[in-house]
Amino acid sequence: MTQSSSASGDAPGIAPATNDAPDNALRPLEPQYSHVMRISLALLWGPIAIGACIFDLTVVRTAGGPWGLLSVVAVLGAMLAVVILPSRKYARWGYAMLADRLRIARGYLFHVDTVVPFVRVQHIDVGQGPVERAFGLSHLIVHTAGTHNSTVTLPGLASADAAAMRDTIRKQIQTDFA
Amino acid sequence: MTDAVAVPLPAEPDWQRLHPGTLALEVLRLGPRALNFVPAIAALGITGNWTYIVPALGLFLLFSLGIQFLRWWRFRYRMADEAFVIESGLFARRHTTLPFDRIQDVSIEQGVFARLLGLAKVDFDTGAAKAKNRGDRGNALDSIALDQAESLREAIRARRAGLAAPTAAVPADGTAAVAAAPQPADDPLLFALSPRRLFTLGLFNFSLAALAVFAGAAQQFDDFLPFDLYDVDGWARGAEGLGVDDWLFTHRWLAVFATLVILLGVGFATGIVRTAIRDWDFRLTRTPTGLRRTRGLTTRTDVVVPRRRVSAAIVASGWIRRRFGWHDLRLQSLASDGDKERDHIVVPFGTLDEVDPVLADLAMARPGADADWSRAHASEALPALLLALAPILLAVIALLLGQPAGLLALLAVPPIIVGALVGIRRHRWAVVGNTLYIERGFWTPRLILLPTASIQSADVRIGPLMRRFGMARILFGVPGGSGFSAHEIAGIAAPTAYALRDMLVARRAAAHGG
Repeated sequence: MTQSSSASGDAPGIAPATNDAPDNALRPLEPQYSHVMRISLALLWGPIAIGACIFDLTVVRTAGGPWGLLSVVAVLGAMLAVVILPSRKYARWGYAMLADRLRIARGYLFHVDTVVPFVRVQHIDVGQGPVERAFGLSHLIVHTAGTHNSTVTLPGLASADAAAMRDTIRKQIQTDFA
Repeated sequence: MTDAVAVPLPAEPDWQRLHPGTLALEVLRLGPRALNFVPAIAALGITGNWTYIVPALGLFLLFSLGIQFLRWWRFRYRMADEAFVIESGLFARRHTTLPFDRIQDVSIEQGVFARLLGLAKVDFDTGAAKAKNRGDRGNALDSIALDQAESLREAIRARRAGLAAPTAAVPADGTAAVAAAPQPADDPLLFALSPRRLFTLGLFNFSLAALAVFAGAAQQFDDFLPFDLYDVDGWARGAEGLGVDDWLFTHRWLAVFATLVILLGVGFATGIVRTAIRDWDFRLTRTPTGLRRTRGLTTRTDVVVPRRRVSAAIVASGWIRRRFGWHDLRLQSLASDGDKERDHIVVPFGTLDEVDPVLADLAMARPGADADWSRAHASEALPALLLALAPILLAVIALLLGQPAGLLALLAVPPIIVGALVGIRRHRWAVVGNTLYIERGFWTPRLILLPTASIQSADVRIGPLMRRFGMARILFGVPGGSGFSAHEIAGIAAPTAYALRDMLVARRAAAHGG
């Protein structure tokens, strides 16, 4: 393994630089996944922000508190979550289908890099949420026998790719767990 | 000995029912459940309808018994050619098939009342998770006669071993099969707890839980006492009345000392009693498929841990026990050991010389003196040290609010700091052959023996704090254990972490030719 210059630095783009050999370079997810994340976050935080604004304009105003503050905070927070976060989070995802294992890396502040050897996969699913379906994406769910990481999810894959990966992994499963 | 009962159902002579004594056990188990009825009784009492309480209780009992009888009536099981079949359920029928090659082993458990009646509960260990909700009774035969249970276990073992077992494998009287089957005493004994060792273990399990129970009871029921428990003046007046107040004052240090002695006595006694109840006559024997452990005073359990399913072993100790050389050995596997502990404790209290043969039986060994250990980097102590700030913060807040008692929170700080600093010095790991060894902990030092074949997945995690130092952690996904304590290597430089992880995973993959 080649030593990287600094494990604490990070390359802009995919995932923090590691001591990867070139064939272990991580691939990014499909670009539309950032839109999927954005829409999901909007669907989550939109109603919350609206509810907070309504609460602020009605209850807080009648109670005589500092009305308007909560609305501003809620709207700013929702905008932050919907506009800025998804692309940053998308940039921190990466995966690699190696010959005998699957590697998934995500996150920056709390960076997690998971490796699952194919021979120890219990079973494998391909799932597709409604928002993902609109963009033609799927996610791969790998089940292992360990208590920690009993399911490992890889989102943001093109549906054809996900099915192909599932079939590749399935062929290599040699679990002898009853 | 109870009459063996196989109530054959017509037209399918192989089906068997549970022992009718089960109903008696269910009646006894109704006791705690009767608490559900207390609000109803209270309502009846408050509204003044006293006369209805007894009939209401009677109806409740009858109803519960009726349900239990129906449930017993609708439960049947049999040994088919390839599998064990259970049919159960009142309204939602449940037909369970347990193929013999999926049954790892059969465990037998006897509560105190069950032992009086000669009954036992039989549970099939398939490596699957235990039933999550209380309504789901899982795949257990609760209860059948003890000798039937043992012959059932031998029959299943024989089937798994592929021997030609008699087709009437669960004979109606059970005696013939038991005589032919190898008795538990024939299996070689790996470890047993002598009463003296049990006593010592009880001393180490010092527990002030009795005080907590007393405090809880005092809080709940102090309204029912004729006097006020918290009235200090009342206690003082009582002492004056008895004439002991002067004596107590002049000998107040004696009183404090006596209190401490009583507390210690209660603590030790509680520990001994609890340990005796759980670990009485602890025996660990070697069976062809695994390690069999029997223990218990009131509830006798009989569990086999299959050798193949052991994913990791942990040699643990305590900060005082270690000085005396006492360790315990636990095994992790997919099956969990009852509801309270996930790991099977196979040696609860032994020296390292007693632990080594058990490990050898599992084809594991503690690392030798020449193992190449890597130590954790000191920076890993930082998160734990930051944790020590929490009690300090609490104490400061309490002081600001005018509660000097908050200073007591500072008592928590030295143990946290010591634990963090010394613990990180003790944290080290080594890879010898096909096993990864991890040592960590100060207050509860433990050595984890993790065969690389057990590693299902491996994470390298870099948190915001450790990133400054270029440090990472590796977490291993291993079958068994609790979700909160995945096996972990901390304080390892990030490039080393990636390299180590890839080496371990490659070794695991190579072992399978994958």
